[in-house]
Amino acid sequence: MANTLKSQGSALGAIRPAQSGPGAMSIAVGALRLLFIVVIIVFTLFPVLWIISAAINPAGSMSSQTFIPQGVDSVDDMLVNVRALLEDPQVPFWTWVLNSLVVSSITTLLTLAISALSAYSFSRFRFTGRRQLLVTILLIQVFPNLLAMVALYLLLLQIGPYIPFLGLNQHGGLILLYLGGAMGVNTWLMKGFFDTIPRDIDESAMVDGATHWQTFVQLIFPLVRPVMAVVAILAFVGTLNEFVLARIILQDREKWTLMVGLFNFVEAEFSNDWGKFAAGALMAATPVVILYISLQKYIVGGLTQGAVKG
Amino acid sequence: MSAAAAPMESTRRTSSSTSPLELGFRLLIIGLVCAIAFWLAFNIFRDGNVFLAVSLVVIALGVTVINLRPELWPLRWMTPGLAAIALLAVYPILYTVYVAFTNYGTGHRHTKEQAIALMGNEKFLSEGGTSYQWNAMANAAGEFALWLRDGQGGTFFAQPGQPLRAVPVDQAGTLNEDGIPTSFEGYNLLERREFAQALRELQTITFGDAANPVGIRSRSEAGAFEQRWIFDSAQNAMVNQETGVVYPADESRGSFVAADGTEAPLGYWVPIGLSNFTRIFNDIGISGPLVRVFLWTIAFAFFSVITSFALGLGMALLLDKAFPGVRILKSLLIIPYAIPGMISILIWRGMLNENVGIISTSMQNWFGWSPPFSTDPFWAKFAILLVNLWLSYPYFMLICSGALQSIPGSIYEAADVDGANSWTKFWKLTLPLLLVAVGPLLIASFTYNFNNFLLIEALFKGGPAMVGTAAPPVGHTDNLISYTYRFAFGTGGRQDYGFASAIAIVIFFIVGGLTLFQFRFTKRLEEMGEGG
Repeated sequence: MANTLKSQGSALGAIRPAQSGPGAMSIAVGALRLLFIVVIIVFTLFPVLWIISAAINPAGSMSSQTFIPQGVDSVDDMLVNVRALLEDPQVPFWTWVLNSLVVSSITTLLTLAISALSAYSFSRFRFTGRRQLLVTILLIQVFPNLLAMVALYLLLLQIGPYIPFLGLNQHGGLILLYLGGAMGVNTWLMKGFFDTIPRDIDESAMVDGATHWQTFVQLIFPLVRPVMAVVAILAFVGTLNEFVLARIILQDREKWTLMVGLFNFVEAEFSNDWGKFAAGALMAATPVVILYISLQKYIVGGLTQGAVKG
Repeated sequence: MSAAAAPMESTRRTSSSTSPLELGFRLLIIGLVCAIAFWLAFNIFRDGNVFLAVSLVVIALGVTVINLRPELWPLRWMTPGLAAIALLAVYPILYTVYVAFTNYGTGHRHTKEQAIALMGNEKFLSEGGTSYQWNAMANAAGEFALWLRDGQGGTFFAQPGQPLRAVPVDQAGTLNEDGIPTSFEGYNLLERREFAQALRELQTITFGDAANPVGIRSRSEAGAFEQRWIFDSAQNAMVNQETGVVYPADESRGSFVAADGTEAPLGYWVPIGLSNFTRIFNDIGISGPLVRVFLWTIAFAFFSVITSFALGLGMALLLDKAFPGVRILKSLLIIPYAIPGMISILIWRGMLNENVGIISTSMQNWFGWSPPFSTDPFWAKFAILLVNLWLSYPYFMLICSGALQSIPGSIYEAADVDGANSWTKFWKLTLPLLLVAVGPLLIASFTYNFNNFLLIEALFKGGPAMVGTAAPPVGHTDNLISYTYRFAFGTGGRQDYGFASAIAIVIFFIVGGLTLFQFRFTKRLEEMGEGG
C-alpha cells in the first residue's frame, strides 16, 4: 500500500519540477491544480444539480427555472412535479417501471445462463476451432446492430403471428432480441475469470467420478459468483438503459419501458414539461446511480479485469 | 495447442460418457426444438419468407448435430448461446448483406407478383361508368352507408364491403320531402351539419363489394370504381386504365417505367448487383455528403476518446493523493457515468436549448452572446464533444485509477536511482505502462463512438442541416450510423434499405478491422493460445 501510494505520488508529481522546494512556484502550481479540480467538479456536477433543481421547481417550465428554486416553502412544493408526473394520464409511470424491471430481470437471468455455460466450455475444454469461435463471437457483435434492426424488426414481424409472445410490441420479443448480444462480451469476461480458477479443482472432482455438469454446478459455480454478479449488474443496467431497440419494438404506451416512455414524453413537449421530465429522470436515475456507486469496485473490477491483466 | 491438449481431451471425453436417462432427456429437448423450429419455418415459408424459413431449419439442424455428434460435445454447453447468435446476430447480418445487393426500400418492398396484386387494389372513378345521386346515412356505431339513386328509378342501399342491394323506395319506410328514406335498418339519414362534418371521411370510403365498388365523385354524384392498373403479361407492362399509358417493366431497376420516364407508384424488389456499393463510391467522388459524414465520424470518435482519456487520466492522477473526502468526491464524479445515457443526453439537450436553456441564457447575460448550437456546425460539434466528454471521462478516471495501482512501485524506485525526474517518469514509465493496460479499452471506446447513435440522435438529431443535399436530410453532426439510419428509418424522405445496408457493411468492415487490430495490439490471441 505504501508502495503504491508513493508511486502515485511520483506520477502525480509529473506536473511540477521534482527538485523545486516549497517556493512561490509550487504554490502557484498547487493553486492551479486546485482550480482545475474545482472547475472539473463544477462541470461534472452542475447538470446533476440542475436537474434536481428543475425537479423541485414548482413552476415546472424551463424558462422559469433558477438554480435555487423559487417558491419552495415546504416539502409539498418540492413534490409538485412528481405529483404532476404521476397523475398525468399520459404517463403510466409505474407501469413503465414494472415493464423495465420485468424485461431487464428476465434478460439478465437468461444472459447469465447462456454466457456462463459457454464460458465454462471455452475455459475448460480444448477443441478444434476454439480460438476462431471465440474471436468470431466477438466480431459478430461489432456489426452495427442498429442496421440489423431492419432484419430484427422483420424477424419479430414474421414470428409474431405464430408465437404471439415473441412478436412485435411484446416484451418477449424484445427480450429475445436482447439475447442476441448475450454471449459476446459477457462470455469473454466470464471466461477470463474462469481461467483464474485452477483446473486441479475440476480434475480432482472428476477423479472422484463427478461429471462435467456436477463439477460445474457444485464446484465451479460457487467460485465464480463474483464475476456472475458483475455480469448480472452490467447486463441488468445495460438492458434497463437500452432505448433504441425498445423504441422500435414496443409500440403501445402501456408496453413501453421507462426509457422509451421518458423519451417520448420529452419529445412531445420539452420545455413546458421540463419539471415533470426532471422529476421522472431523477426517479429513474437515482436507483441506478446508487446501485452503480455502491458496487463500483466490482463493476470496475469486471470492466478492467482482462485489460489490466494483459 | 491441440497437440498439447490431446491427451487430456481423451480422458475428458471418457469422463463425460452419458447415462441412458441423460441421452433420453437430450433427445426429448432436441425433438422439441426441432418440432417448433420446423413448424415455424413451414408457416413462414408459406408466408413467402424463404430466407428466414431456411435459416430456422439450418439452426435447428445445427442444434441437432451439435447435440448428437460425440466429438462436438464441448459445443453442447453453448447450444443456447450459439442458437441465439445464429438467429439474432448472424441471420440479420446475412440478411443485411442480401438486402445490400437489392433495391429494397420505399416503393420496392414487394415481389413483382405482390406489387402487381397491390396495385390492382387501386381504383379510380371512371368518367364513363354508372353514376348515382347519393345521400349519406350513419348508424349508432358511426358506420356510414349510402342511399343511391341511378336516375332511372332504381334505388340502392350500399354499405362498405357488402354487395349493393336494390331496395325499392316503397319498401324503405318513411320518406322525406326529397323522396329519401329518413332511416333504414338502423342507419339514419345525416342532417346537414353532420353531413358537412362527415364529407371528408365519406370521400375516402369504398362502398359496395369488390365486384361492384362505388365511391363519391362529387357532392352530388357517386360513381362506380374501376381498377386503375391492369398487368398485361404479353407486354410485361402495367397499363393505366384511366389514361391508357403503358408502363413496361424495367427488370434491372424493379420499376414500371413509361416512355416519358414516369414510374408507376409501386416497383418491386430485384437484385441490383453492386449498384448500392458503386453509389457509395460515386457519392464519395462527387462531393456528396458521405465524405463529410465519414470525416466527422472519425473526428468525433477520435476526439471523444482522446479528450475523455486525457481528462480521466488527469483527474485520476490529481485525485490519487489521499486527502480528506477524496473517496466521496470520486464517487460523486462518477455520477455522470452511472446515470442512464439517454437521460443524461436529454438533460444536456435541455441545458443547451437556445431559447430557454441555462447555458444560452447565462452566456447571454454574462457576455451578450451565446453559441448558436442549432445553426452553426462548429458549435454543434463542440457541444457534442463536450457532452460526450462529460458522459465518458468518469469511466476513464475509474479505469486509470485502477490501472495506476497495478503499476509496481519498484519501477519508480529504479527510475529514481537513475535520476529520472517526475516529468520523464510520467512519459517514459507511467503512460506507456498505463497504455498497455488501457489501450484495448481506448480502441473499444473508439469503436463504440464510431457507432454512437444515441448521442448524435438524441442531442441534436444530426442538425444543423446541411444545405443542398438530397433527401434524406443530412445534418452536420450526423455520423455514419445516424446517416445510415436516416436512409433506413428516416421520416419524410424515401426509405432505402438497400443503400443503408451497403453502408452498414462498409461500417462493419471498418469496425471489424479495428477490433481485429485490437486483438493484435493486446496480443490476447497469443496469450489465449498458450495458457487460457
